[in-house]
Amino acid sequence: MSGVLYLAWRYLLWHRFKTAILVLAVTLVIYLPVGLQLVVQRTAADMTARADSSPLLLGSRGSPLELVLNSLYFSAGSPPSLDYGQLQELRDSGLVEPIPLYVRFHSAGHPIVGTNLDYFDFRGLELSRGRQMVGLGEAVVGSRVAQQLDVGAGDAVVSSPESVFDLAGVYPLKMWVVGVLAPAFSEDDNAIFVDIKTAWIIQGLGHGHQDLARPEAAAAVLKKDGERIVANAALVQYNEITPDNSDTFHFHGDNDSNPLTAILPVPHNDKAQVLILGRYQSHPELQIVQPRLVMDELLATVFAVQRYVLVAMVLVGIATGAVVLLVFLLSLRARRAEMDTMSRLGGSAIAIGSLMLAEVALVLLASALLAATLTGATLILGGPLLQAVVTQ
Amino acid sequence: MRKLLVITVLLLAGCGVEGEVPSTEAVGTGVPVIYTVNYPLAWMAQQLLADTAEVVFPAPANVDPAFWQPDTDTVLRYQQADLVLLNGAGYASWVARVSLPGRTLIDTSGAYPEQLLTVPAGPSHSHGPGGQHSHGELAFTTWLDLGLARQQSQAVSVAAQRLLPSQATAIEQRLAELQRMLTVMDERLMALGRQLGERPLLYSHPVYQYLQRRYQLNGRALHWEPDQVPDEAQWSHLQGILQSHPAQIMLWEAQPLPEVQVRLDELGIKTVVFSPMGNRPPSGDFASGMAANIERLEQ
Repeated sequence: MSGVLYLAWRYLLWHRFKTAILVLAVTLVIYLPVGLQLVVQRTAADMTARADSSPLLLGSRGSPLELVLNSLYFSAGSPPSLDYGQLQELRDSGLVEPIPLYVRFHSAGHPIVGTNLDYFDFRGLELSRGRQMVGLGEAVVGSRVAQQLDVGAGDAVVSSPESVFDLAGVYPLKMWVVGVLAPAFSEDDNAIFVDIKTAWIIQGLGHGHQDLARPEAAAAVLKKDGERIVANAALVQYNEITPDNSDTFHFHGDNDSNPLTAILPVPHNDKAQVLILGRYQSHPELQIVQPRLVMDELLATVFAVQRYVLVAMVLVGIATGAVVLLVFLLSLRARRAEMDTMSRLGGSAIAIGSLMLAEVALVLLASALLAATLTGATLILGGPLLQAVVTQ
Repeated sequence: MRKLLVITVLLLAGCGVEGEVPSTEAVGTGVPVIYTVNYPLAWMAQQLLADTAEVVFPAPANVDPAFWQPDTDTVLRYQQADLVLLNGAGYASWVARVSLPGRTLIDTSGAYPEQLLTVPAGPSHSHGPGGQHSHGELAFTTWLDLGLARQQSQAVSVAAQRLLPSQATAIEQRLAELQRMLTVMDERLMALGRQLGERPLLYSHPVYQYLQRRYQLNGRALHWEPDQVPDEAQWSHLQGILQSHPAQIMLWEAQPLPEVQVRLDELGIKTVVFSPMGNRPPSGDFASGMAANIERLEQ
């Protein structure tokens, strides 16, 4: 038996190019549906787990999917904004602990998430270096941001202008990184967290500037009309918040009318969740969604297409299998003279058949091993990689 | 393209895995810690909670907590507190410039926004697309209206009971005692207000707005500091006020310098220290400090 295996092994080695193509084809037939299914399942599981851990989302009326993708995965466009004042209304209800979210701006391609400290507790995010944000203009970055931008406590990140053509828009804000989060293996690793008030300053709703009533700001005064002072373009507005100028930063109007992209209400219990859902169900301007249901709805909508994809994969597999079978049959035909020689040398029909089968078995075994290795590697690396692609 | 990829991934998803829901409940580590932004709130919390919680008011004794700016380490300790009692009405403006967990913040004057008073705004100005605006503020020494102080103590009580449900009955009992104490002082001030009637008063600083409204006093505020000698412009400003507002009593946040007191005496103006009690008194507590304020004004 070992002689048959040895002869089969030598044959495959001699025809290494043909063998390599066969192994590769069979490997792909095995690996592609299995590996892809595994990656997709793991990614989907991670994504739905995040939706599961976020029981409710409150936003302005619009696309629920956009609200969920923006608020939980920091992707998609900004949903219509709602007023910060809604946060206090939710808190006053005594049913939930609301967490504000303002996900609109970016820095070097990473989302800037305006929120408050409750978010970190809610997501179980821990600092690996530095400290928690304290003042305006301070930021805590996710582990992937720290790695990709090579920033740590003491470094700075700058918000990106929303449009390069918006020359009259808000200046980019330089924010000091004070802490780096430990890897959470979620979208939070890719985000830059700032206080909600810092996010409003990025938008220009709050700013710091020279005191126009002081003599050193005289050059910036266009005109004085009683108690009213009009500044000209020379007025120095700060694009960085430091201990020296932080006192000058202020917001115009009531914070309650400042924007949020969403509120993450954390219900105190199941009954509170039902009550708060009912309260906002028919609200004319706001929508409250259960992220898991939104994701499930999306999955349900596309399950039919998923079946087509699986059928296509099976058909491709059958076609590849047929080609492999054809290759083996043609190979047998081409080797008829070789088999006649073996027969004349005293080889029985069983021995010759065993040799052929051994060659096929070795190719299949090698393919199976390679496919298993690829699947293992996919399990380890594929999920995070694909998730990074999906959420960026 | 990215949306397509998201949809493709979701398309192919066969099943999901139930994720763990992170809890927002803090793990209890013994006695809860309550931080406050001024002394009256610290006193109220201490009265209500006795030794069942650690009440911390970290401002140094020699500063006005309304304008104090805590350092980073102190703010980090505020972040760790189980409860942070705010006075509201824009008091301690540093709160608006730092990050604190929303779930721990209690605005003790949140129940009466319509009763808050505004102080004259600074000059309005405009620049850029934001339009005209000014940095006007609310008067924040709310607790000098002891009726509002009672409401603040109620807010502290509600937050304390939520924090320590097992102590709810005891807190309710202590609240009744605290409110009785505040009511007694409130009635004394009411009587004093009736006694003073329309007699003109002066205030060394604009911090007595709520005292004036509640007890119907007829006062006008200056911007004099107890540890500074007013310049001649300020004295002549005072002379001008006295023409139309012949006050004979001036309320001070603290004892003025002797030379200031002598000159006021010459003008026939009696100085009365009425401490707003924003910070911890050198001796006694809020109740004894307010009682002393009332006694000095009664004399």
